[in-house]
Amino acid sequence: MPTLLKMQEAMQASLLHRDSQTVSAMLAGHVPADRLDIYRNTFILTLTKTLRLCFPVTQKLVGEEFFAGAAQIFVGERPPRAAWLDLYGDEFPEFLRSFPPATSIAYLGDVAELEWAVNSALHAADVAPLEVVELGAIEAEDQARICFVPHPSVRLLRLDYPADVIWRAILASDDDALGKVDLGRGPRNVMVERRLTGVEVECLDQQAWSFLAKLCDGSSIEAALVDISEFDYVAALAEHLALGRFASFSLVPPPMAIDPGKII
Amino acid sequence: MPGPNVSAADPIPARAGIGLRFQHHQAVLDTVPDVAWMEVHTENYMGGGTPLRYLDAIRRNTPISLHGVGLSLGSAEGIDPAHLERIQKVAERVEPGLMSEHIAWNVVDGTYLADLLPLPMTEEALEVVCRHVDQTQSYLKRRILVENPSTYIAFGNSIIPEWEFMAAVAARTGCGILCDVNNICVSAHNHGWDALAYIAALPPEAVGEIHLAGHSVKTLADGTLLRIDDHGSRVSDEVWSLYRQAIARFGAVPTLIEWDNEVPPLEVLLDEAFHADHLIGKSPKDSAHADAA
Repeated sequence: MPTLLKMQEAMQASLLHRDSQTVSAMLAGHVPADRLDIYRNTFILTLTKTLRLCFPVTQKLVGEEFFAGAAQIFVGERPPRAAWLDLYGDEFPEFLRSFPPATSIAYLGDVAELEWAVNSALHAADVAPLEVVELGAIEAEDQARICFVPHPSVRLLRLDYPADVIWRAILASDDDALGKVDLGRGPRNVMVERRLTGVEVECLDQQAWSFLAKLCDGSSIEAALVDISEFDYVAALAEHLALGRFASFSLVPPPMAIDPGKII
Repeated sequence: MPGPNVSAADPIPARAGIGLRFQHHQAVLDTVPDVAWMEVHTENYMGGGTPLRYLDAIRRNTPISLHGVGLSLGSAEGIDPAHLERIQKVAERVEPGLMSEHIAWNVVDGTYLADLLPLPMTEEALEVVCRHVDQTQSYLKRRILVENPSTYIAFGNSIIPEWEFMAAVAARTGCGILCDVNNICVSAHNHGWDALAYIAALPPEAVGEIHLAGHSVKTLADGTLLRIDDHGSRVSDEVWSLYRQAIARFGAVPTLIEWDNEVPPLEVLLDEAFHADHLIGKSPKDSAHADAA
């Protein structure tokens, strides 16, 4: 008699790999394959729908049929790891980049990556933003040592293609703008965030993006400014704080004063 | 904006409610429909942003029940503690009147299979489910309801009739039963069971909620007709008839209209709920459930 675990592994093989031999042998009597197909179809269609909702512009670029075909392969190869489907799809952009039938659309992976960031920002946890007044107690000489924790909705992307321009044009059904896209204009530094009014996608200049990216990675203000020159970081910080891009802060310890007496 | 009309964890009244879907968030907020309660899928409110903001506003007027689809009570490898924690967080925020899950599984080898998959009706599966219901109830510090499945296949090693399995889970863990009358109808047709006998075998004192939904009929390659539980149409006459039998036995119970595919305008759901309320009004009033209304 198969254990529950063996049955569940056999069912998984049927759903993911169309290998129904083992599970069929566990069923009561002879069961036509199309009864098992219902489970497989539900599995594939549910997750394809999840991906469609998350990647609508990607789908427009390749067409519904192509998208469904790619999604079917993706869900079989990389099924969800959690029962919370908001988390599902993070690997889809990378999958598309290495999916041979899609490589002719060079910017497809970048558009999908942007859509994933938009989706993540949309579902990011509700966290109260850091208020400027909370920084009021920090002495001026200590300010350079402030480290921020970014708001969970903030995403920073560096894209090879102008995926943000393509994404906007397709959402607006603006063929004119789409026709003017210059694919060779170089990398784009994009920020995605959720504001009270909805998710915003913004293109930043190199310095502004690098400064914010370093802060979001946990660098202190001082450390984030290394290698950045002629940049009005005070204005940038004021905007980040005003728009709630940080959730909290801490101070990195000051440089250690060497006390020979304490060296053992 | 008026203050909250609905107190925290307001009980779900023994009347008809509707499944709240994203398509209807704005319409519900704008029109405040005359419906006694609503139910949402727990997994749709685990993130932040707009869905939770709508739900926060809607539950000021309407008690909410949380119905989970992803806990996988029947997983041989155990339930995912991270998912249980997510459910707990939603419950803290939403303060639901009822919480429910399914007699099914969908996680194996750390993979989520995105459907409510059938269990073999064995003593092993019964023990696994009971262990996980115990774990869930002690973690959430509350009683949950478990829903009977709709199934298309049966396992050769099944030895416990499904209705006995349901009753045993309730008896061993103290959980309640969410009696999905549509699922009973679907499974009874698909496996040749007697739907009325199924209802008659459930312990009335354990039944805390009823689900009603539409299903479709598919013809298989060998000519067999299979009922598909697709929640994509009105409740069938056959299911309404079973529902009358169910409330005659269980008394007035909170009854949900579910619709998940090709979701119609809100008015259609309200119309179905109105019909269920009408039938509840005609059911015997002497049950414990009716007193709670």
